[in-house]
Amino acid sequence: MAANKQQGSYLALFWTAATVLCAGIAYLAEGFGKLVLIFGLVGVVISLVGFLRIKPMEGKTANVPGNAMLKLMGIAVALGGWFLTIAGLHITTSVGGRMVFAIAGIGVSLVGVLGVLPGAFGKSMAGKPEPASFVAVKSTLEHSR
Amino acid sequence: MKKIRQYSCLTLCLLTLSLVLGVSAHAQTPAAAAPTAAPAPAAPPTADSELKDVAGKAPTTADLAKGDPGGTATGTINDVPAADPKVGVTLGDVANQTGQDKIAINFVWTLVCGFLVMFMQAGFAMVESGLCRAKNANHTYMMNFFVYTCGLFSYWILGFAIQMGGTAGNGNLGGLQSLTGEHTLTLFGKTWGLFASAGLFLSGHTYDVGVMVIFLFEMVFMDTALTIVTGACAERWKFLAFTVSSIIMGAITYPLYGNWAWGGGWLSQLGTNTGLGKGYCDFAGSGVVHAVGGITALAVCLIIGPRIGKYNKDGSANPIIGHDVSAVLIGCFILAFGWFGFNPGSTLGASAAGNLRIGTIAVDTMLVGCTGTIGAILYMWVLKGKPDYSMSGNGLLAGLVAITAPSGFVNSTSACIIGLVAGILVCLSCSFFENTLKVDDPVGAISVHGTNGLWGVISVGLFADGTSNYGGAWNGVTGNVTGLFYGDASQLVAQLVGVSTLIGVIFSLSMLINLAIEFFIGHRVSAETELAGLDIPEMGQLGYPEFVFRPEPEFAAA
Repeated sequence: MAANKQQGSYLALFWTAATVLCAGIAYLAEGFGKLVLIFGLVGVVISLVGFLRIKPMEGKTANVPGNAMLKLMGIAVALGGWFLTIAGLHITTSVGGRMVFAIAGIGVSLVGVLGVLPGAFGKSMAGKPEPASFVAVKSTLEHSR
Repeated sequence: MKKIRQYSCLTLCLLTLSLVLGVSAHAQTPAAAAPTAAPAPAAPPTADSELKDVAGKAPTTADLAKGDPGGTATGTINDVPAADPKVGVTLGDVANQTGQDKIAINFVWTLVCGFLVMFMQAGFAMVESGLCRAKNANHTYMMNFFVYTCGLFSYWILGFAIQMGGTAGNGNLGGLQSLTGEHTLTLFGKTWGLFASAGLFLSGHTYDVGVMVIFLFEMVFMDTALTIVTGACAERWKFLAFTVSSIIMGAITYPLYGNWAWGGGWLSQLGTNTGLGKGYCDFAGSGVVHAVGGITALAVCLIIGPRIGKYNKDGSANPIIGHDVSAVLIGCFILAFGWFGFNPGSTLGASAAGNLRIGTIAVDTMLVGCTGTIGAILYMWVLKGKPDYSMSGNGLLAGLVAITAPSGFVNSTSACIIGLVAGILVCLSCSFFENTLKVDDPVGAISVHGTNGLWGVISVGLFADGTSNYGGAWNGVTGNVTGLFYGDASQLVAQLVGVSTLIGVIFSLSMLINLAIEFFIGHRVSAETELAGLDIPEMGQLGYPEFVFRPEPEFAAA
């Protein structure tokens, strides 16, 4: 689909509505602030629905859908590592102990980010059967080198 | 014998005489010196009389009309405004002028440094576009151009309030007393800052000269973080998705971590609440700016996937060469220049409270770029056989990214070590992401900013030498920031908590936000658009309209 007028229109609505939403937050204490906030929220929701409606027009993309459960698991593991680090601050008061917890927490988070999530997003182009056009693209690249 | 007796008697007499005369002379000296009645000391001139005296000696209008080629007659008491012209300049007027001078120096310093950081956008645009193919040049330049607008606006309407809305008490910029909107959570008997809310639209009490200065400076930092993502996702990122993602990052993701580290949030309170060093210390933003940008780039890169043609079926990677070496290397120089605003400017002033350390900070910044480049060039030359230009540029930037957090706390030798490690680390990291994780990052932004941003945060906890003194305390903890190698291991723990937060919380938040954008909008352009190059389909015009491109085949689904 590429960029077009519909995208521009929904983006304009999203941006305007987000600004109105923030104005509502800024004046939340005053009566009209709540009304403005609701207007902003409605505008944001309409723009999101609009984005969703025009999304299929984009055409076929080259990325792989991946595994939704694994994505959530990766995020959960990443967050779990942080909880471990924070827990360490309260479990022990010794500097060495806290350092061990912090390093362990970082390790767990890295497992989620670098271990689980790359697999959750498909095996990228590497593990996917290569379309005929990719072979042609590759040969073009090789020619250009 | 008789003669001896005579000489002895004579000597004795002389000695006795000299002693008697000497004592009397000695006794008479103070009597002669002591005044009979000491005159009253002259009354010291009063401050006002002294000021009048100075005013009397000041050059007159007639003197100044002759010109002042030496500059000695310009900038005198004549230039101090008197509250009451009839009375003339008083001590109070001078004190007020001194206070205003301090704030003026700090305002000008912070603003000029902010302008330098703003110019870094040009450097990022050149580096990122140069490392992409010519068919995507317009799109990549436009992302770097438009991200400034997206970030600035979203930071004005929301982001600044979340980040800096609770930072009252900054003496360098006049107090910023209207920024008192930090929202806290009490947990385990301690109060922790979570986010702030004063300063939406810079309205109300935040319509203040000091707040405007800090807004400008913090805004350009935020924009630097946003522009990191555009490089990592170049050549396949839908312009609409990029716009929405940047707006949300500028409004929420970046400001949240910025608040925790710089806005009085919970990371900065690790020192006061848990006794960890001086709390999380990130002088100019290795973590706040670069790691947040790099980690968000990783999240979006995982979602968006590698470019068509980057990987073969067996998993091996194809190099996709950038189109403009000159743009890349000139862009790197522009970034290195802008970094002199980034790091020394983070003192938020050049006057008072230890701010004269700006010289050390600038030298550290300069040196680390040097050793970062050396590390990367030698690594590539020794192990790969050629001093690769893109990795050389990335080595320079990696060093600069790594010194950003410790620049205010380390000496020049430590800076050189930090830079050298960063230069090698960026090469290893690029290879790891490209070959092991199969994450396609056309410009190496994840490694330059993400990996080395984390290294910079950790290096504060290792190399801070305890000599910097910004007003006697940091993050509310008395004393100077000192790292493990100089005796304080707890500072390293505070830094590791920051690293854990970046990887655990900020990455997860970025991932969730961008997954939502993937659901509603879709991050990636169609394969057809990607093969054609994004310039025409997304931007409507080629970056280089007079170039003839080698035709690439149409995409067809397998």
